[in-house]
Amino acid sequence: MSMDPRLARSKPEQQAQPVPVPPPPPPVEAHPDSTKMGLDGTNDTQRPAEAVVPDGEFKLKFCTVCASNQNRSMEAHLRLASAQLPTISFGTGSLVRLPGPSMHEPNVYRFNSTTYSAIHDELRDQNRQLYTANGLLNMLSRNLNIKGYPERFQDWVPGVPRLDHAADKGAQGTEAGVVDVIITCEERCFDAVLDDLHNKGGRLNRPVHVFNVDIKDNHEEALVGGRGILDLALSLNQAAAEERKTHGEAGWETGSGAARAGFDERVPEILAAWQERWPNLPALWSLAWS
Amino acid sequence: MNSSQTLQQLESARNLALGDGRYYPTIIPGVLPIIGVHANAPLEIRRWGADFLAETFASPTWSLDSKETSCLSVLPTLKDYLDTSEDTGVIKSAVQAAACIYPLVYRHTISDPSDSHNWQTMGAIKSNILRRMDTAPPGVRICCVKFVQQVVLVETPAVVDPRRPDNMDISLTLVPRDHPLISYSLMEAESSGLLDRLLDIIHGEHSDALLITATLNCLGTLLQRRPVVTNRVLQSVLAFNPLKLANSPMTPKNKVMMKSIEKTNKMLLTNYMKRHPESPHNGRIHQHLERISHMRADIFDNNRKRPAPAEPTDGLDAAKRQRLGAVPADSPAAAPPLPSGPISFAQLFTLAPPNSGSTSFDVSVMGHDMILKLLVPLLHSIDQRKLDHAVNLIRGRYQELSKRPPPTAVDAANQATGATADDDEEYEPDFDQIEDAEQIHNKLDNVPPETAPAPVPNAPLAPFKLPQAPPLTEIEIQKYGDGTVRRLFGMMAALDEAPSKATITKPGFNRLAASNYDRDSWLTIICRLATRTSFGLEDPSHGIKSEDMSVSKKGDFSIADTIREALLNYIIYDWRKRIDVATNWLCEEWYNDRIQQSAYLSSLSQSSSASPSSPLPEPVPQYQKWTLKVLDKILPFVESTDKMLIRFISEIPELDREILKRVGRVADDPDRVQLSVMICQYLLMFRPPVRGIVVDLVEGLWRDNEGAKPFVQKILVKYRPAVLQTENHVKTEGEADGGEVKPAAA
Repeated sequence: MSMDPRLARSKPEQQAQPVPVPPPPPPVEAHPDSTKMGLDGTNDTQRPAEAVVPDGEFKLKFCTVCASNQNRSMEAHLRLASAQLPTISFGTGSLVRLPGPSMHEPNVYRFNSTTYSAIHDELRDQNRQLYTANGLLNMLSRNLNIKGYPERFQDWVPGVPRLDHAADKGAQGTEAGVVDVIITCEERCFDAVLDDLHNKGGRLNRPVHVFNVDIKDNHEEALVGGRGILDLALSLNQAAAEERKTHGEAGWETGSGAARAGFDERVPEILAAWQERWPNLPALWSLAWS
Repeated sequence: MNSSQTLQQLESARNLALGDGRYYPTIIPGVLPIIGVHANAPLEIRRWGADFLAETFASPTWSLDSKETSCLSVLPTLKDYLDTSEDTGVIKSAVQAAACIYPLVYRHTISDPSDSHNWQTMGAIKSNILRRMDTAPPGVRICCVKFVQQVVLVETPAVVDPRRPDNMDISLTLVPRDHPLISYSLMEAESSGLLDRLLDIIHGEHSDALLITATLNCLGTLLQRRPVVTNRVLQSVLAFNPLKLANSPMTPKNKVMMKSIEKTNKMLLTNYMKRHPESPHNGRIHQHLERISHMRADIFDNNRKRPAPAEPTDGLDAAKRQRLGAVPADSPAAAPPLPSGPISFAQLFTLAPPNSGSTSFDVSVMGHDMILKLLVPLLHSIDQRKLDHAVNLIRGRYQELSKRPPPTAVDAANQATGATADDDEEYEPDFDQIEDAEQIHNKLDNVPPETAPAPVPNAPLAPFKLPQAPPLTEIEIQKYGDGTVRRLFGMMAALDEAPSKATITKPGFNRLAASNYDRDSWLTIICRLATRTSFGLEDPSHGIKSEDMSVSKKGDFSIADTIREALLNYIIYDWRKRIDVATNWLCEEWYNDRIQQSAYLSSLSQSSSASPSSPLPEPVPQYQKWTLKVLDKILPFVESTDKMLIRFISEIPELDREILKRVGRVADDPDRVQLSVMICQYLLMFRPPVRGIVVDLVEGLWRDNEGAKPFVQKILVKYRPAVLQTENHVKTEGEADGGEVKPAAA
């Protein structure tokens, strides 16, 4: 994996992180479980009950992508996984970048090898007060409960089984290492994903719907964006499930209206309807090949 | 066994294969009977089966070779799925699997030309899929598009580096021309036709974003792996207008589709440019993208993608933040401080920093028309706040200036007299126009008396004369004289470097001595300076000067002789090249001697007859003296092959015994005898006036120089046979004595 040699010199201790040893769970009182407690302090239980796709139903496989696989993609990952949708997540940046003590001193880590737990511990030791105040420690402790380490989209080989990620949230259904839907959280990431899929060459011959949902990179917006992404995912999944139902044996004759159309062709419509519901999250879409 | 139990079993088999791709070849035969159509499997099983086949042959965890072997067994199942199934899910996955399998069967058929059965089955699958391409539901059609792209990929020749043949890249290049099942030309034609169908999709009447983005996204592989189709694909993509939906009603769906198509199109082209940074198409692509982005901006003008953050957010990514804490954009420019001392209006009103280009730009070079054209829009565009700020700055400056202490009397005097103060280089005299004469007088009155210049007496003005220079000493005279002469020749050194003028036609007799400024002219001038300038100026009391130019007393220094000496040195320094200079010079000397002689004689006769005026001093002949000097200096260096000497001797205007004696001396050197004799021969032939002297010289050689005898014999035979006879007489006696062999006479 490529990385900036200057950063390697300036932060040697961060590069020498051991490869994923399962992180010890953080102390409960210092790091409230964000699956139960929202980052903004609101308790999840106060929210309206989220839709959950029951296990027997058809499920699309999802992939969420942001720059560093920390904030927006992980928030969405958590939402989708909580709805029991198969989900994996990635970052498209060259390195994992987190805010540091100042604008010009970001904390930089490698993808695919530095665990969330290691980052969490390092930042806690560096300046517990600062990183608690800006929400980083909260975010990291949420992340380390979702999966082991940030992954880079460009290093992902579609079709390679992900049995070693079985402990990740939302891993069920993603064992084959393929996805039906990729949702990026920023146009830059959308571009990077399309570009990388061109480079990968679409060797699986498998269609994948790539969406972009523009979310500002802060905790509050990530929460809003996560809800939007879940809404989009559920809409898509419902359409796909309808296709399975109506296009069953003799289903074509019994179906009617929009349900008669296939899932793929309904995607623009679904997205347009979603955009009406979420006007502050500008969206893009493309049918690409994985 | 119900279908859910079957599914569980199948799922566990799949998990086994996911754990290790090597199990696929053993699992496939076990699974096929269950999922096949003939097994009358329920829909869920068939869906699972089609998905499994697509996943299996797409999986990167097992090798292409094993896939190639296994794929043949699944062909009937795939064909059955496509022929009999109505379910979109099954068809979609079957087409995906077919897209993965087609290259494998293709490669298998290449290596096994006898296996026509499997190739025919694959052919049937292919035609089934191609039939669906235009009519199937969009979800299936996109899979067909991808299948067609795969067919184009394998049926188009790849550009293969022979040093690194890529066996994994299945292409038409692998097909031998004489293959019984796969016809090279048919494949080529088919792939060309299918590529056209692909490209037609994006140009089709429909604006189905699904199909268009699916097609655009699969073209990237072709651009990347099949350079032979690059031109066609790019031409088609560049002709595609991704914003053609703009004319239809702007429904939310159309909006999102248009943005998506535009973005997909852009990413395809950007990816191509990134991968081929040197491609000749890049310029066009760039223009195309530029145009599209302008159109896009027009369409979505008020629909910005992402407004700037309303408030400073916590710094997660510095690059994406608007720098709100930075200096205000229109921070008023600070004016440079005014220099101390007097200030011009220009300085007062100039706010630009002193070294900026605007201060040195002369506006007057622009025409009035131009200024007028510029000025009106400029005045319109001036920012009111900036203007106010500038006015305030000037006002502040003016107030500061008016508070400064009044200038001292010295300053006033300097201003009045136009002298600039030392510490103010930028003083501009037009400042004093604002003071009238009265004020100046007043200021001048204040000048302290000690600084004023001493009063000048009212004396009549007389022409100024330079004082008499102190007389030069002899040494100085000589030194300066030498310097002058040196400069004469220094000029020549510069001229020598000029290119040779061989090509220039000589002006002949009509030329003036020094009409053009070249080396020859200058030499002529020097020669004449040497020979003629001092005519009649030499000290008459001084008869013959000593040759070594001693300066024992005043007047011994002769400018002419100094020049001659320098000229001689100049010639000797590179005599082979400068022998023509010597000839010219000596001619001038000879001519001068003649003129002086005749002038002297005529003055003698005049003075003797009537006139009391003193006769001219008797001229000192120079020609012979300098000729001998030249010869003496040259001769030691002359080699036997130097024809130069012959030419020189023949060209100098006068020869006498003394000069010819030098030629005779050349013969003392055995090497140069021949040269000496040749000179004599030449003179005998072409200068009859000196024939007598030359024959004497030759006779001398005959008598004194043993080595010269064979050469001079024939001259003497012709001109003075008497000498030979006496000699022969002596010789015969000698032969009788000792038998000395006489050299053969020519």
